[in-house]
Amino acid sequence: MTAQPYASDPATISIEELGERLAERRYFAEEGLLTAIHLALVLGRPLALEGEPGVGKTEVGKVLADVLGRELIRLQCYEGLDAGQALYEWDYPKQLLHARVAEAEGREVGELYAERFLLERPLLRALRAGEGSVLLIDEIDRADSEFEAFLLEFLSDFQITIPELGTVRATRPPVVVLTSNRTRELHDALKRRCLYHWIPFPDAERERRILRAQAPGLDEAAAAALVEAIKSIRDLALLKRPGIAETINWAQGAAILTAEGALWPEALQRSLGLLLKEQEDLERVQGQPELFAV
Amino acid sequence: MTRRAEDHLHAFLRALAEAGVAVSPPKRADFLMSVVASPPDDVTGLYWRARVTLVTGREAFPAFDAVFDAFFRGGHLRAEEEAPAPPDDDRETAAPNAGDDGELKQLEPRSGSGLHASPVDLRSTRTFPPTSATARDQLREVGATLGAVLPVIVARRLRPARRGRRLDVGRVLRDANRSGGEVVTLAWLRRPPRPRRVLLLIDVSGSQRQHSPDLLRFAHEVVRVAGRAEAFSFGTRLTRITAALDMPDVDRALEALSARVLDADGGTRIGAALEQFLGNGRFLALSRGALIIVLSDGLERGDPAGMAAATRRLARLGHRLLWWSPLACDPTYRPVTRGMRAILGDLDDLAGARDLDSLLAQVRRLPETTARARRTATRVWSR
Repeated sequence: MTAQPYASDPATISIEELGERLAERRYFAEEGLLTAIHLALVLGRPLALEGEPGVGKTEVGKVLADVLGRELIRLQCYEGLDAGQALYEWDYPKQLLHARVAEAEGREVGELYAERFLLERPLLRALRAGEGSVLLIDEIDRADSEFEAFLLEFLSDFQITIPELGTVRATRPPVVVLTSNRTRELHDALKRRCLYHWIPFPDAERERRILRAQAPGLDEAAAAALVEAIKSIRDLALLKRPGIAETINWAQGAAILTAEGALWPEALQRSLGLLLKEQEDLERVQGQPELFAV
Repeated sequence: MTRRAEDHLHAFLRALAEAGVAVSPPKRADFLMSVVASPPDDVTGLYWRARVTLVTGREAFPAFDAVFDAFFRGGHLRAEEEAPAPPDDDRETAAPNAGDDGELKQLEPRSGSGLHASPVDLRSTRTFPPTSATARDQLREVGATLGAVLPVIVARRLRPARRGRRLDVGRVLRDANRSGGEVVTLAWLRRPPRPRRVLLLIDVSGSQRQHSPDLLRFAHEVVRVAGRAEAFSFGTRLTRITAALDMPDVDRALEALSARVLDADGGTRIGAALEQFLGNGRFLALSRGALIIVLSDGLERGDPAGMAAATRRLARLGHRLLWWSPLACDPTYRPVTRGMRAILGDLDDLAGARDLDSLLAQVRRLPETTARARRTATRVWSR
């Protein structure tokens, strides 16, 4: 099943249609998230997404690129990320070689700071993608707070100034999605430029839809029991609350075990390692077998 | 949009500002544009448009919801699709109330545990005893160790270096000029590492009475040696003491301090002090990306909710959040008071420090603690 990309101007896509197109790609968004994406497209603003790990923040960027039929450009942030790795770099070895070759052949060296010696990094590439792009700036909270300042010019005007070349502007502004796990607070200046949405854990109905789409082997009653169990597990004070990604893995794992003949509650118990990744959490949940009663 | 609807929206924006949800002009423009460009079908649609464009952080959701309900839902509660905020929310919390906490008394039956902290601010001044020669040696040792153990961050600016990732083309070409246009050696640039800022938050309340002179001496050495260090003291009030500490002689610095740290030996209101710290934009900026060390026994009088919320926020702002408590020097110590239990999950390390000896030991442990993953204090203490 390959869904067709949305051909017209993305600003004209309605909230309902956006929801359908995301659902075709097996992404089930709540109304708040749909409104946020819709407004990001209409107003041309970057969209800042926060939420617990595993609720599908990064997935928004990926699936949106697919819906719009645009190139996905991802900038994964990390501590110490600098402008050179995010914007552009000059290809110095190439420049030197060029100069030496020109010298050897007795030609004029010409301009060394020209387009062809420029190494595009994600932010610059996002500006120069002819048909527009979806730029995913992932886990911005991992980068140092100084890096956010670099983003300000980029996010408000969609332009980058390269001293040797001049200012590069986007032919079609990219759709920007920023994600943060909230391990540290973002600067107000950055927040001011973005639309903001906190992605909550899905409600039972939406989680069942997700499971139906992502773990097709699962029968309806089992899915309902699993979603109930997840809900109670998230209410326990765990070190790491399981996200949607872990739920899907758990459902798939349990489905495989039942297909091999294991009983349902036991299959859930045995595949618990797919859901919880901390020993302390595992022990706590295993100590409460009533969670898995079907 | 009709005139009346417009007035209502503007009144809504004003009410938000009054409720403490700060909305900057570009955000207001975004909201109004969103309503025009994509008119909502119902109140829920309007709710999401308003929240997505106007709110910049999850902590503002409750205040925002209240104002929105009052304006558009006739005071009714929120729509069904909105998930209630989970319990580990970091909403603004009221300052701790002044009730007695019997639990603490049982757990820490020693004198001066902060239980008798009174809301009455005594503002007593005090003089510190002179620093002994041994103490001065220990301080020098702290200073000498510090440079090597502070976590570093790669500087933004490139500097010439013997080898590096990047060619210093300018320098190469200049050197080439000297050798007749021939490139003989390559010159490199690198971004040198520089130490992160250190932020010390020192508890000088009554329960810390016997330890505070040494803690302040330690702070003096840190501020003097580490280029970018900040120190604050708190008891009933929060005081920025960096400037007072920044003089060559430790005893003169402490003398200057006794004039400034007026609340020494008053009560402990850790939560209120930390909230005051976070409430000041200039102070808060000092904590971003910093190595934050709180020197306190964590004996909060009253409700620890304020302390827990403030600690969580502090942990998110800094690079690492370490909590050094004099009580933790005791090998039988467990973080079981309500306050410590509430904050342990947000700490990167909880360790003992009460005098210069133990402080020096903690400084030497810094590379080990800062190399660990964040928020691992719980794991260490649950072993």
